[in-house]
Amino acid sequence: MTGRARALLTIGLAAAAFALSSCGVGGGLSPIFPDPVSPNGKGIYDTYVGISVVAIIVFLGVEFALLWVVLRYRRSSQSVGYVPPQVHGHTGLEIAWTAAPLVIVLAIAAYSFVELQKDFQPISNQQMTVIVSGHQFGWQYDYDNGVVVHQEGSITTAVTPFVVPTHTLVKLQFRGTDVIHSWWVPAISGKTDAVPGYDNFSWLKIDQVGTWRGECAELCGAGHASMQIIVQAMDRSDYDAWVNQQKAASASPSASPK
Amino acid sequence: MATTVLPRPKAYDDTFFKPISLWLTTTDHKLIGIMYMVTSIISFVIGGIFALIIRLQLSQPNLKIIDAETYNQVVTAHGVTMIFFFVTIFVTGIANYMVPIMIGARDMAFPRVNLLGFWLIPVSIILYYCGFLTGHAMNAGWTGYAPLTEQAYQNHSLGVDFWAMSIIVWAISGIMASTNFLTTIIALRAPGMRFSRLPLFVWAQISTSILLLIVGAPLAAAMILLEFDRQLGTQFFTTAGRPVLYQHLFWFFGHPEVYVMILPAFGIISEIVPVFARKPIFGYMSMVAAMFGIVFLSMTVWAHHMFTVGINTYVEGFFMLMTMLIAVPTGIKFFNWIATAWWGSIEFTVPMKFVFGFLATFLIGGITGIYLASVPVDTQLHQSYYVVAHLHYVLFGGSVFGILAGIYYWFPKITGRLLNRRLGEWNFWTVFVGFNGTFLIMHTLGLEGMPRRIYTYANPAWGATNLIITISSFLIAFSILLFLINVVRSWNHGEVAGSDPWQGNTLEWATTSPPPPYNFERVPPVRSFMPLRDLRESGELVEEEPALSPV
Repeated sequence: MTGRARALLTIGLAAAAFALSSCGVGGGLSPIFPDPVSPNGKGIYDTYVGISVVAIIVFLGVEFALLWVVLRYRRSSQSVGYVPPQVHGHTGLEIAWTAAPLVIVLAIAAYSFVELQKDFQPISNQQMTVIVSGHQFGWQYDYDNGVVVHQEGSITTAVTPFVVPTHTLVKLQFRGTDVIHSWWVPAISGKTDAVPGYDNFSWLKIDQVGTWRGECAELCGAGHASMQIIVQAMDRSDYDAWVNQQKAASASPSASPK
Repeated sequence: MATTVLPRPKAYDDTFFKPISLWLTTTDHKLIGIMYMVTSIISFVIGGIFALIIRLQLSQPNLKIIDAETYNQVVTAHGVTMIFFFVTIFVTGIANYMVPIMIGARDMAFPRVNLLGFWLIPVSIILYYCGFLTGHAMNAGWTGYAPLTEQAYQNHSLGVDFWAMSIIVWAISGIMASTNFLTTIIALRAPGMRFSRLPLFVWAQISTSILLLIVGAPLAAAMILLEFDRQLGTQFFTTAGRPVLYQHLFWFFGHPEVYVMILPAFGIISEIVPVFARKPIFGYMSMVAAMFGIVFLSMTVWAHHMFTVGINTYVEGFFMLMTMLIAVPTGIKFFNWIATAWWGSIEFTVPMKFVFGFLATFLIGGITGIYLASVPVDTQLHQSYYVVAHLHYVLFGGSVFGILAGIYYWFPKITGRLLNRRLGEWNFWTVFVGFNGTFLIMHTLGLEGMPRRIYTYANPAWGATNLIITISSFLIAFSILLFLINVVRSWNHGEVAGSDPWQGNTLEWATTSPPPPYNFERVPPVRSFMPLRDLRESGELVEEEPALSPV
């Protein structure tokens, strides 16, 4: 096989791998996050798409430039006795490819900063607050109406869901009680660390009924993989029934989880 | 009457097998460089075995090849070994060998400090692995976040202590080496070797040394405070203390460390591209400026590893901006490399293939770095397999491809013999395919929610992807095996290289292969940053007697 044929074959393989990785959506080969169900997750999703537009152009442009160099300027493609021009630089070009990346990254930084200000500020207009405490190995959710959900870690069985009402702005207040944990449900939003010593914040607002999975994202010991998270969103009436059921269960000592 | 050829000094026959007393006591920068490199390659193999264990465990959902505690120890050992004992040590070793020769010096400025600095590395490695003898090796990841490393969560085991001690020794060694490099380059340059004529690999070593000199101390400080917590009951990073302070100290070292590992690779690329394209480097001054831009910026970005701990959004915005700005000097270097090759007459030798492998893959690592720098997007990608893929594109596709390019390029200088080209081609193509097969689709796992450092997962949708990754990772292992066979075989049986097999530009090709203990009988005159090419073109170059006879 000639060098050029081999180069083309490799490029073909790489393209096939890339195509494969972008079409098998959701089956372990998704090129983007799960469909967001909370506005802050949607904001992150859109930022990712926006960056991707620029990133794909830069990626393709530079890779094709490399490919062109490989195919066009290899010695076997040059005429016999070709002596390359002994160029030491070009001020204009060097300024151009300093300025171009600068403009691109400033634009991406500004675009990201707008999203950062929009969805990552501590909120005060919440309709309910839940204190989420991470511990080795599980999560505890303390609702402001007194309900407590213990989501003890398990890798094989489904864990107790953290239930929220739909159409409600829920403030999440994170606390670490031993080591650092990180609460992450990709379909809702990014992750927030539960660090000992201070409260960390996030929020969610889900407008559809459903169940979403996540897990702890910060190595926290041998049970790290078992710190699964299930978030379940219920209609207001179902949610109220669930709250009453929880209150009744905790009122009778035998049904108490601890 | 034939002239008498003086026997070469015993230390510099071409064989690897020299008296152990010589290896233990030599202050020759070349032998110390070889010891650094051999040590690091052994670490590479060990770290690679850890990686294969990790990949076997993750190849299917709900596997129990190793348990969670063992997995955490293995994942930590993989990271510690590859970062501290392989890549950083290799780039120190190759610079130890090449920098004095490239600037026309006879040795490093402080030869005995050099020897001590090297021998601290095996001490550091052995200290770390002592943790495994206790049965409770370090298990909190290579970053060792407190308070997980504190006594309360470690059952009073010694693994973390061995790790912390090991890192302290390692940091001291790095500070010694950096001081030595800077002094050597400032004080021992040959006549005519002005700063504006230094090879770019030497400039890379200056910038790397400055970085390690500045950030080595905070790393040691973090480890010392952690040991105070563990042994003296202080409360710096405990649950009752300030765990995030540990992260600040660690990443003030940890992010520049990425550049400690990649800047020498940049230097290697900058040496190789002009030689095989037969063109001078494009934009020498902007290449140097870009490196110092990276040095400065890399010390202002550490908190981008901490975007989920809850920092004021304006501060996060600052770190996001500084992180993204690193794309500017890196972009300058990238475009200058492409411009150097443009209009060239490129000979695709094995080192040049690795250079283009580097360019094609490091680009992906750079672009995913922009996503990770964006605070909102990072809160999704942080601590997921997307980050694992990104960092391997930077460290493997970047540093390791650069290191392999450097080995194929300089092996003939170090041993006097060329590496086998056919094996080298196989090495390149298998590692290129295996690497991309392993890490390209790994991004998607992170996007779908697979956190890093979990010992297993229940989601069946991730099984097929993980299996492809595991199979590809074994292709990398096969490729590295080919590489090792090539190195061992070629060391004594390779084709004799002569002093300048590639028609190089820099001074190391002016002396014999391997060079004599004193490096040069007469240091050639230096009139530009391509002194050897000047001599070749002016007809002043005298071909040295080959140091080795053909097999």
